[in-house]
Amino acid sequence: MSSSIIDRRGFLRVLGISGTAATLAGCGNTSIESGVELVESYVQPEDFVVPGVGVYYASTCAQCGSGCGIMGRVREGRILKLEGNPQSVISGGKICGLGQAGVQVHYNPDRLTTPMMRDGDGLKPVSWEKAGAALSARLGASSPISGEQIAFLTGEISGHQRVLLDLFMDSFKSTNHVVYEALSPAIGQAANKAVLGVEQPVLQIDKARLILSFGNDFLGTGPSPVHMAAQYARFRKAPRGTLIQIEPRMTLTGANADRWYAIKPGTEGIFALGLANSLVQHQAYAHALPADIASVLKLYDKETVSELTGVHADTLSHIAGMLWENSPSLVLAGPSAEGHANGFQNVAAIQLLNLILENNGKTLQGQPAHPFPQLEPARSSTAALAKLDALMASGQCQTLLVMGCNPVFTAPAFVHFAKHMEKVPFKVAFATQLDETANQCDLVLPLLSPLEAFGTHVAGYQPKGVEVMIQQPLMERLYPETRAFGDILLDLLKQRNPTAYKAFPDYYAYLKTAVTKAKPVFKSSASDDDFWEDALRNGVLHLELPPTGLQAHTEALKLGKPQVSESDTQYPFYFVPSIKADLRDGRHANLPWLQESPDPLTTIVWDSWVEIHPSTAAEMQIREGDILSVQSATGIVRVKAYLFPGIQPDTVSMPLGQGHSQYGRYANDVGVNPFKILNPIFDERTGELAMYATRVVIKKTGENAMVVKDEGPTNVQQGRKLVATLAADQAALAKEVSRVTQ
Amino acid sequence: MTVRMKIMLVWLSLLMICGSAIAEPFVQGGAIGSQTDDGFNALGPVVEQPIEFPHNTHAGQMGINCMYCHTYARRSAVSGIPRLDKCMGCHKLIESVKDKPRIKKLFEYWEKKQAIPWKKVHDLPDFVRFNHERHIQRFYFREDRPVREVCGYCHGDVASMTTARRVKALSMGWCVSCHQKDHLENVSTTKTSNGPNDCWQCHK
Repeated sequence: MSSSIIDRRGFLRVLGISGTAATLAGCGNTSIESGVELVESYVQPEDFVVPGVGVYYASTCAQCGSGCGIMGRVREGRILKLEGNPQSVISGGKICGLGQAGVQVHYNPDRLTTPMMRDGDGLKPVSWEKAGAALSARLGASSPISGEQIAFLTGEISGHQRVLLDLFMDSFKSTNHVVYEALSPAIGQAANKAVLGVEQPVLQIDKARLILSFGNDFLGTGPSPVHMAAQYARFRKAPRGTLIQIEPRMTLTGANADRWYAIKPGTEGIFALGLANSLVQHQAYAHALPADIASVLKLYDKETVSELTGVHADTLSHIAGMLWENSPSLVLAGPSAEGHANGFQNVAAIQLLNLILENNGKTLQGQPAHPFPQLEPARSSTAALAKLDALMASGQCQTLLVMGCNPVFTAPAFVHFAKHMEKVPFKVAFATQLDETANQCDLVLPLLSPLEAFGTHVAGYQPKGVEVMIQQPLMERLYPETRAFGDILLDLLKQRNPTAYKAFPDYYAYLKTAVTKAKPVFKSSASDDDFWEDALRNGVLHLELPPTGLQAHTEALKLGKPQVSESDTQYPFYFVPSIKADLRDGRHANLPWLQESPDPLTTIVWDSWVEIHPSTAAEMQIREGDILSVQSATGIVRVKAYLFPGIQPDTVSMPLGQGHSQYGRYANDVGVNPFKILNPIFDERTGELAMYATRVVIKKTGENAMVVKDEGPTNVQQGRKLVATLAADQAALAKEVSRVTQ
Repeated sequence: MTVRMKIMLVWLSLLMICGSAIAEPFVQGGAIGSQTDDGFNALGPVVEQPIEFPHNTHAGQMGINCMYCHTYARRSAVSGIPRLDKCMGCHKLIESVKDKPRIKKLFEYWEKKQAIPWKKVHDLPDFVRFNHERHIQRFYFREDRPVREVCGYCHGDVASMTTARRVKALSMGWCVSCHQKDHLENVSTTKTSNGPNDCWQCHK
């Protein structure tokens, strides 16, 4: 007894002394001090600078390709927080979580601060003189390389950076500017172009009374999530629009839907044709399609479609009924419908519904032609990477320059990108932070963060009129040895063609000249300086242009008998890689705010997991946290199981973006990389990687580990019925539809 | 509960009382505006500054308003150190003191365009947000009290010092003692109110 009292005393003593010391040590200045810290003061500040009061500057978010206008709050010369810029139609004064995390790109402790050069096995810091000399020797005036010997690999790039890059490649007489995005929407864009006449129609979500979305996650990972979320809010105001989502694995948009249906991956087109078949039997739509298509559609009767897609036949009838009751509607295709061998046909079939329902011109419009097409983002594709890979493998490529993409991480294992990259004798990366691809390069040049550099951006998706977004530094550079991408390119161009670029001492001068030259297009009569100052202050140059019309081309749709891939006994599960709104293809895994933000559907943080339907898990006796091996024909990963009801029972899903090995302290050794187990299956029409067509087998390894997540136990609200739920097939859908089909 | 545990609890309670007394050795009292002993006087250390700035000359002999130099106090959470060009604005024209060592130093900083590395004298813990603007607006502008008195509530009579030295405890008990008093809402009324007593007003 007495010893326990001593223990308690000991505990209190320890708590009183070391506990307080530990707390104080972790909290910075915790006492009243005199003469310890210095006061920041100014010599000759601008009149508007008031210490302690933030000033807002307009710029453009560079976290994704949406091109949202942002405002940065700057205090005492440091950027503290980003907000949306109300001047920008794209952002409408709002910003997403991914955009908020932009300051962590800037302040990241793993930022590159000096040029790095390969020395033996590793990269060593070098001076700019040495790095510049190496660059000039290879790419300067006397460089003998040209054509296929050089390739510039970038992510989606737009604005004057793209113009300079094109001029740079022109100077080598090369067309090898490879634009690679692992999550490229190229299949959907090709199908849209073939059926609607435009690659990316402008969506009028707020004008629709009913949205039918086949895996389109427009609220999370679409082409412009901030803009579409604002439109979606208006869509939900009275009269409240209805959202129906059909997809193999629930996305953030699916979680917001009124009706969510699981479908077998790759059968979205069959379901769309089944709907089309139901619709054309209605008098109003009977003549919407050419006779040859209408006759083939008859093969897609609801029983056949139901059998192939796994969606109940009555559901199909109900949705068809809702579609003709609620006009105008909007039918959307998303990545999970596009990423299959028949992905192009899936999207074409889904767009056919828009044609039948006459949504064109109402909820779907054409994007006006951009007055500066050279500034528009070059379209990305995965097929372009395959071409580059072949060029490297054959030894033709002598110099590879990389900026804004990380194919060593995102290319599937069957591509052997890292191995083929070794065959290139001179590889240069332009980066703010080392990643897997930069680590394989011979020279790495440190770039300014997007919050330190000037630039322009043009979004691929322009919701209203057209905009050129202006990016300006929100604070002085943190590291003196970092440089703007535009400045490095301009220096190289000057070496190759001194006379053409001598008027521009730096990229800023080039940018200012180029932007002010566009003055007549924006109908401005201001002086050059005033026009430029206005552009910087507003952060955006907006030009009001009417949307264009769409032209229907039904011949793009090749209809045959309904077919579906055969079941595979060796690999029984469909594999759906899910795109997280924050990590995307993994380029943001180095931002701890995003790692710490719980996944919206599972609430899991700092990890990878495999989602499996509870009924499938019960059959296989899998519990949450069981470590499973997920094996495809090309690779295997080991990952924790998470039981998730929002998934088709024959499907398993893993989030993309984790599994880095060389991307800084916050990304390394967190989770696994599902890109590496994707099978070599390609869309038949475009040759793009079919990301959702991989099949896997899952096995228990016998190990179990805790899944770190915010939610409590998943056993349906611990029996308290806090929110009543009903299975979709039990819901009285007939009440929503006055006339039931067939 | 055993007798030994009870004894331990009594000792613990005593320890806590003594502990708080050690942390806060002053008793409350004294009128607002007083720069005399209000029970919270606690002279801070002498802080050696890069230039021994004579507040007594500027604010004392010449009677310059504190906010002529500390111009941010009425606009921002921090009062701020005056910008260097403000010092130079006057001293470029004052020939009589140009040869004094302090002024020579000032010119050296100005020629190098280098900010003077002043040290903080009144540095609150990082978890406290004190707002100068709110206090200056209330007591100087709305209550129309003399500036030396308003600034002096917290900073003491700086006009009698050379470089500033802390004279008050700057403790939470001291803040709260003033927030609990009745203060006139403005000069033309007899209506009074207290300072806020929500935790988050200062601890954000």
